[in-house]
Amino acid sequence: MSGLNTGEPVSAETAAANQAAPVIQLRGLRKSFGDLEVLRGIDLDVVTGQHVVIFGPSGSGKSTMLRSLNMLEQPTAGSLKVDGVEYGPGLAGETGVRRGKVLDLRRTVGMVFQQFNLFPHLTALDNVALPLRSVRGLKGPAAQLKAAEALRRVGLLQRAAHYPQQLSGGQQQRVAIARALAMDPKVMLFDEPTSALDPELVGEVLKTMREVAETGMTMVVVTHELGFAKEIGDLNVFMEDGLVVESGPRGFFENCVSPRAREFILAVR
Amino acid sequence: MDISNYDWGLIWENHGVLLNGLLVALQVSVIALVISIFGGLLLAVMRLSKPPISWIAVAYINVFRGVPALVSVIWVYFGVALLLGVNFTVFQAGVIALSLLYSAFMAEIFRSALGAIPPGHREAGQALGMRGTRIFFSVVLPQAIKIALPNLGSMFIGMVKDTSTFTVIGLLEVVRVTQNLVSQSFQPFVLYTAAAVIYVLAAFVIDIVFRLIEGAYASPPRGAISRVLRSRKRKRIQQLMAEVAA
Repeated sequence: MSGLNTGEPVSAETAAANQAAPVIQLRGLRKSFGDLEVLRGIDLDVVTGQHVVIFGPSGSGKSTMLRSLNMLEQPTAGSLKVDGVEYGPGLAGETGVRRGKVLDLRRTVGMVFQQFNLFPHLTALDNVALPLRSVRGLKGPAAQLKAAEALRRVGLLQRAAHYPQQLSGGQQQRVAIARALAMDPKVMLFDEPTSALDPELVGEVLKTMREVAETGMTMVVVTHELGFAKEIGDLNVFMEDGLVVESGPRGFFENCVSPRAREFILAVR
Repeated sequence: MDISNYDWGLIWENHGVLLNGLLVALQVSVIALVISIFGGLLLAVMRLSKPPISWIAVAYINVFRGVPALVSVIWVYFGVALLLGVNFTVFQAGVIALSLLYSAFMAEIFRSALGAIPPGHREAGQALGMRGTRIFFSVVLPQAIKIALPNLGSMFIGMVKDTSTFTVIGLLEVVRVTQNLVSQSFQPFVLYTAAAVIYVLAAFVIDIVFRLIEGAYASPPRGAISRVLRSRKRKRIQQLMAEVAA
């Protein structure tokens, strides 16, 4: 965590004023599936401690963009820098850039999926402990201890011995958050984390995410929960047709100017 | 022959040799099961790989699925000796023949089981920074085995039954033992009835064993045996929970 974090959410302006180098920097990021171009040149800066909210109609490319951030989707062109290291194809003419391995990128960036994607054959505890052992190289007991602490953070220590199918959707998603958090990532990505949940279970997941945000974790969240977005979003990004239509700081939902963004916000509300 | 001429006592008199025949059949089958699980997994992974490799697996599977056990064991026992001068014992020939055939069947079982794992689980492993091999062995394979288990049970029963054809090379399994007893006693009805019962009971027991394994492998585990096996693990987790909660 950076020294910027005082418990208060860090706004884009203060972060910029502190001259913080962006932890994530996208320049002209493009992605095609065959003939279909899903991302048509995305620029985005995310600074440490910032909470970025990405929203837009389905098919706008927001999930693809998020999945590019840890190379689950390989960008076709453009630059993806995390911590100053280039992981994408890069920009034409740019020299002297440090290039990194995908594995290292993924060990820096955590991700939470719409479908939770817990490993069904493992207990909640082992879901969190497995990557600690195989990626962080912790020994069994140390991994389990760290996993238990991560589960406590999301309020699910009492469910440690349960298997995913014995947990509600909301609990599964909280275990998934604990699993990603336990790896001590610099950035957490959330891909529509509440979209697969029954309405009454959305609240507990949002509460957990709010708690994560309060620790100063850098977050990039794709969501349709605009109420939540308004609450945590330091930087709000409206996407459509593979492009960022408009983005802005707090108050974006009231102050945005592009007609499509206004229309979308009204329609969702 | 009148019913009173049937000497049912023969079964008890010879139960030792008969059961010994079953033991031989089970030994051949268990060894071949282990080999064909590994062989089948390897073939399934090859089958799901890119073209040059997948073709090898496709060719193997299509050839060996089509060969009957009887033909296969004759080919291994006599053919290999002729071609390469390697003389297998009848036991070895039986194990090799079964392994060759059942690797092909297992490959198809594992292929569908591996295909049934949601891609999201692989992605979750990738997003956590796990290596591909680690994802395969810790995330994909354990789930695939769980899906494949019921089919492995039926495969194993099939293997035990297929050992009956190895009588042709003189393996002392149930049918061979039965034939030997028949030639001494001229009581084929009684002895083949005994053989049939032995196979049925063996299949029944194998089914129970595989159900227990399935239960132990289920998430959460089912059944008394797995409860006992898991009790230490559960105690450790509870201890940990208390420790962390404090």
